[in-house]
Amino acid sequence: MNTVTVSDTTLRVEPRGLDKIWSFTRCLDIPLDHVRGATFDPGANAEPKGIRRPGLAVPGKWAGTFVHDGERSFWNVSTPGDTVVITLAGERFEQLVLTVADPRALVDRINAAVV
Amino acid sequence: MGRTRSFDEAEVLGRAAKSFLATGFEGTSLDDLVRSTGLHRGSLYQAFGSKRGLFVAALRARSVPAEPGDPGREEPGPGRGEPAVLDLLLVATLELAPRDTEVRSIVGEWLADRPDAAVVLGTRLLDRAGLGAATPAPAPVIAT
Repeated sequence: MNTVTVSDTTLRVEPRGLDKIWSFTRCLDIPLDHVRGATFDPGANAEPKGIRRPGLAVPGKWAGTFVHDGERSFWNVSTPGDTVVITLAGERFEQLVLTVADPRALVDRINAAVV
Repeated sequence: MGRTRSFDEAEVLGRAAKSFLATGFEGTSLDDLVRSTGLHRGSLYQAFGSKRGLFVAALRARSVPAEPGDPGREEPGPGRGEPAVLDLLLVATLELAPRDTEVRSIVGEWLADRPDAAVVLGTRLLDRAGLGAATPAPAPVIAT
């Protein structure tokens, strides 16, 4: 689970609790002008993740950095059905795949902030 | 954006538009779009950024392929437009325009070009529901 906050200039992603450890990440701050958009996408959980470096992959839970087809993604997903995909430009990660508490509202908030 | 695109954007937007018309914006999942466009999820995200980005591109292109027997082939006439394109505008107006300034302005520009826009959209909405003037209303059943 992740806490995602949108300020005037920044998207902040904080893995909650032990997910900080599994994902080797305490906090990601992304300037909003590097955010391309967000999508409520439960089906993303079933996609191939690629090579884990570093992170955790156990059935139903993926946390950390994964590289697939030369693209680096940050994953912290556990609950299928509450997944949001955020695409980025000019960042270390091409996309963030996150489980969040209120996916539809978050997607609307991010897309409204980056248009 | 990395790799070069190896797909026909117009074709992909047309197929995506058909999915959005069939199940609405919220009702169309990325899995549906992966199936209808034939592209991988990663390629869709790379090209359009989000499901919303794909919808906005399809709305800007305003081209929905018609199939034989489709109402999309209907001749435009007074109070009519190309039905599939009007349907896409209706989905945009109903689902996204209230909360999305870019979609609102795209629909707004289309409206500004046509003084009869409200009639055209309203007529299409009723036609689509089988309630238009072109469709004879079912005879009222009167109990005797």
